[in-house]
Amino acid sequence: MFLKKMIPKVLKATVMGLLWFFLLYSLPTLLLSELVEEVLPGYAQLLSTFAIVIVFFVVVGELLAGTIFQYAFNIGKALVFMAFFIYALNGGSVAFDLEMVHIEADLRVYLAMLLSIDFLGLAKSLLQAIDFAAEKTEHQLAI
Amino acid sequence: MKYAIRALGWTTTILWILIILFSGTVVYSAMQIRMNFEEEPEVTPSNNALTMSIPFSINNGGLYDISELNITTLIVAENETSISHSTSLVPLIPKTSEVNKTHDISLSLDDIMAKNLTHMFLNDTDLKVDMFVALTYAHAIPLRISSNLTMPWGAPLYNLAVAGISIDSPDQVNVSLSFENHAVFSLNGTIRLEIVDSNNQTHSGTTDIFVLSEDSYDKAIPVTMEGVPGDRVEVHLYFNEMYLKSWTLVMTID
Repeated sequence: MFLKKMIPKVLKATVMGLLWFFLLYSLPTLLLSELVEEVLPGYAQLLSTFAIVIVFFVVVGELLAGTIFQYAFNIGKALVFMAFFIYALNGGSVAFDLEMVHIEADLRVYLAMLLSIDFLGLAKSLLQAIDFAAEKTEHQLAI
Repeated sequence: MKYAIRALGWTTTILWILIILFSGTVVYSAMQIRMNFEEEPEVTPSNNALTMSIPFSINNGGLYDISELNITTLIVAENETSISHSTSLVPLIPKTSEVNKTHDISLSLDDIMAKNLTHMFLNDTDLKVDMFVALTYAHAIPLRISSNLTMPWGAPLYNLAVAGISIDSPDQVNVSLSFENHAVFSLNGTIRLEIVDSNNQTHSGTTDIFVLSEDSYDKAIPVTMEGVPGDRVEVHLYFNEMYLKSWTLVMTID
């Protein structure tokens, strides 16, 4: 019974994990590898870390689907992403050198956009967790 | 609650798609910007200053506007003394358009004199050029680009020497004056040469000069003598020239 329930979940998690890894790591590396290596060498490492973090949360989310832990992990995912974006964009101020030229980009507006979307994701996960808990309680009361 | 969750889900999905599109198009658009500094800079004299006009064009082939473009150049001599600060502003470069402009760098020789850098008239040196470009891309991303360059400075009176005083007649001597004009501008005006001897007598002579850039000057200036000069003399050179206006140089000759 347990295996029957888990095998589709594991399969789905594997497929989803591979798909996200391809979308977030393989594809950008294929398209932007030269640009990233030349302009932002430190960001190749960050890109792979980002892909690994996303794949981890996607796989765990799929494995824990149908439990309240799925939503707890989604809340954790939103918080981790926020911290990751703040770290990756250095709080909104990114600087790098290109031969003799020093470039500074003020990405605070861009960071604010990313954080706003993450806040919405966080709110959604919280509501989902509350909704799930409320439904569970209702179900138990009904029994 | 289900509706709220669904609405939030759709909103986040749409916003993620928009931000991914925005990120991708910003990177693509930034790669479509072409800056061209290929035209030769033009040096023009203006009121005791040199103005170097650097024509440039920016072709914004991207999908977003470039706004508040500010190009600033700061020329710094040794001892970190700033001798020129020039700014050019372009309020807006709309997407898929080209803007042609000129960045004027003004170098005032009065400033060089006022900042006690007159050795720059006599010795070649390297000037540090700090260049700053500030702009806002896509009305959302302020960028600041800076670069340091070194610009050679050619002295207009390089290797200036009062080589010798030869007696032409009892009341006239010839003072040999030589220098090389390493500057980008020609020297055109007069030099008044005064000999102040140890008896505090002043003897003077004036000559016209016209020395092209990268040319040298080596001539004798006739000086009318009043009485018998002492042993130790000082030579005062008074320049009345477009750039070296009212500049006096004192040299001691044994």
